[in-house]
Amino acid sequence: MVQKEQEWISIPMTVDVPYRFAAGQYLTKYLVEMRDNGKIFAVKCPRCKRVQLPPRIVCAECHVKNEEWVELAQEGTLVAFTIMYLPLTDPTTGKPHEPPFVYGSVRLDGATSVLDHFVNVEPDMEKVWVGMRMRLVLRPKEQRTGDLSDILYYEPLPGQVRPK
Amino acid sequence: MEEIKHYEPFEVDQHLTANSRYYAGRMGSRFYVALRDQQKILGAKCPKCNKVLWPPRSTCHVCFSELTETVEIGPLGTVETFTVVTYNEPVQPRKAPFVYAVIRLDGADTGMAHFLDEVDLDEVHIGMRVRPVFARDRKANILDIQYFKPL
Repeated sequence: MVQKEQEWISIPMTVDVPYRFAAGQYLTKYLVEMRDNGKIFAVKCPRCKRVQLPPRIVCAECHVKNEEWVELAQEGTLVAFTIMYLPLTDPTTGKPHEPPFVYGSVRLDGATSVLDHFVNVEPDMEKVWVGMRMRLVLRPKEQRTGDLSDILYYEPLPGQVRPK
Repeated sequence: MEEIKHYEPFEVDQHLTANSRYYAGRMGSRFYVALRDQQKILGAKCPKCNKVLWPPRSTCHVCFSELTETVEIGPLGTVETFTVVTYNEPVQPRKAPFVYAVIRLDGADTGMAHFLDEVDLDEVHIGMRVRPVFARDRKANILDIQYFKPL
């Protein structure tokens, strides 16, 4: 018997698993200070002097306890970036961030490590470059929730020209 | 001297999200199309084992024969086993309490899990006779059967 042309069914599915993590002593200070005072705090290793962000209790290299807190500047330098053409799921909402957009690593002044976040520039290789100076833009204080979405994005400082 | 500040314990809510697409395949597609367009439930018949499998599939899980023949089954069925969900969990599709039941439709040799609603939680039992309630707006997925309910 000849099977007549059949319809093919496919079903889009989304698996969304909400979870909750305890921030612990150090991340709590970092997230609460960012939420309540708009300040970015990192920890400094007493031995290797690395200024680490996000803050960790133990230095991953020296295995000693980090006890010195350092407030970082809200400005920094773009050290790496990518133009995303695939949606990236925002872990705070579970919703995709619509592409294309620029995602980058910024070393805030005074820090050794970098903090990755969205970069508010056009997704155009002519308009973003490594070494670009950036400013951290936080959500308005009354809308902050105490997670990484309190950082809206990095924004280039005005008046910069792409080096030749 | 630096003032020591005390921070309350702090928890952060996040999501793990995975988007995917489920392809129903040849037999699955025939099952969903019949369900959507005709409110008919199809099973796959294995000619070698002489068993009717639900939901339909392209390969017999017992003898590995290729399955191409569908037969209409149900719509009435029997509860083979069940569980009453009494707690809420974010990954569950419903708020508790509700009943998951494995239902073997008349004419089928296998059962499948679905919701069992409109039922007294103390009355649910193995062997209970049930019938499907079809969704009004059917979209060719398993929720075209909204749930089963007792006869």
